[in-house]
Amino acid sequence: MTHTLHRSGSVETLSIDYPVLVIAAQGINSKNSAPKFRKALEIILKHNPVNFGDMKTGNYFRKGLKPVLSNTRENSIVHGVFTNRKDLEECLDELRNADLGLSVVVSGLFSEVWDSLKKIGLNPHSLNISLGVWGKKELLPEQTILDITTMCGHHCVSPLLVKKMLSDIKRDKISVEGAARELAKPCVCGVFNTLRAERLLEEMMART
Amino acid sequence: MRRLIITDSCVGCTRCIPYCPSGAISIGKDRKAHIDRYKCIECAVCFNNANCPVSAIELEELGWPRSVREVFATVYKEHKETNVPGRGTEEMKTNDVTGRFKPGEIGFSIDMGRPGVGVDLKDAEKVTMALARLGVEFEPLNPLTFLMSDKRTGKLRDDVLNERVHSCIPEFKIREDQFPQVFEALQKVSKEINTVFSPGLCVKTNPDGTVPILRYLDQKKIFYRPNGKTNVGLGKPAAKF
Repeated sequence: MTHTLHRSGSVETLSIDYPVLVIAAQGINSKNSAPKFRKALEIILKHNPVNFGDMKTGNYFRKGLKPVLSNTRENSIVHGVFTNRKDLEECLDELRNADLGLSVVVSGLFSEVWDSLKKIGLNPHSLNISLGVWGKKELLPEQTILDITTMCGHHCVSPLLVKKMLSDIKRDKISVEGAARELAKPCVCGVFNTLRAERLLEEMMART
Repeated sequence: MRRLIITDSCVGCTRCIPYCPSGAISIGKDRKAHIDRYKCIECAVCFNNANCPVSAIELEELGWPRSVREVFATVYKEHKETNVPGRGTEEMKTNDVTGRFKPGEIGFSIDMGRPGVGVDLKDAEKVTMALARLGVEFEPLNPLTFLMSDKRTGKLRDDVLNERVHSCIPEFKIREDQFPQVFEALQKVSKEINTVFSPGLCVKTNPDGTVPILRYLDQKKIFYRPNGKTNVGLGKPAAKF
């Protein structure tokens, strides 16, 4: 379940991409954790996430705020996506102070994330490192499209949908912001970064 | 379990086509949308997101072994053995509580079919068998391990081999000194499969903050992404290392 590990792209666009997830260890600290997940989501919401969700319910763009908040369970995995380190740091600080006892994992550029952790007095405990993509790479779509679709680690965001959104933007059928939101909908967990998607779509538009 | 179908009420508007992550939907000679049964990984992204104007996308009962496609595609469904939703396990996400990966150990997760290509389970078996030859022990709670008829050889059940899934993740743990051998085996088998995979490593940082495997990767000039996941150690009760 490595859904925020293999996000591809330039360091520049990754520097606005910090998904946070909160999870319980099943059978160890999951009992009676549903209200803690709700509390974690409430904290995440205070710090300007561009997307959020619960793997058991869905993301904000498809389900809306209330259903995501009110349906947390003992095996929820809740997420929020931040686009700058200040919001990330403030959220992590508040999650620590809330002392929920749940595990918290931050994705993003290691150098930036570790610097943020140091700043607020936290340390990296364990890491998940991506060795890139191996095998028959000729089967992959263009890198620019992958930079968008890999923001849904379960790959529910189709490369064809990215192309469709680009085409619709060009024909003034949808705004860049609207296209990013539409792309975020199939990503059940709510880890798709809409701001980064907007930037990437704009870059692609500028090239064509 | 259910399978996706497009009924005769389809008006051929093409709205569903771009939503399919597998590119499995196309318009046929009858000017209606059709699903390529081989490519379809039963993820229901079209059903859930395309807003078909005539509700022509429906779900029907899905039998074994095709039902494995849905198990590995439907994100929010937990696996009954682990109670964990998704395609893998908690891996390093709860390492601060479980202590699953200790200093000196490396957890591997081989995200087969990712990003977005999909994987025939025959190809997944090539990888699991190549790894099993090195004596690795597969994570018992991983959903793919449950499909193995022989965990020592990495052989999957014969009745699932013709199925295709969006992705599946062989997971196992090794000692640090075994890394070169596993790396070489993965490089070799990556040339024998008709798909891609994304390998990931799970490690515990040392008390002084160092990460030996990163030093090794740098020394050997092995590519790794500058971004990844960091468990910040807030889980309780804290595992003892």
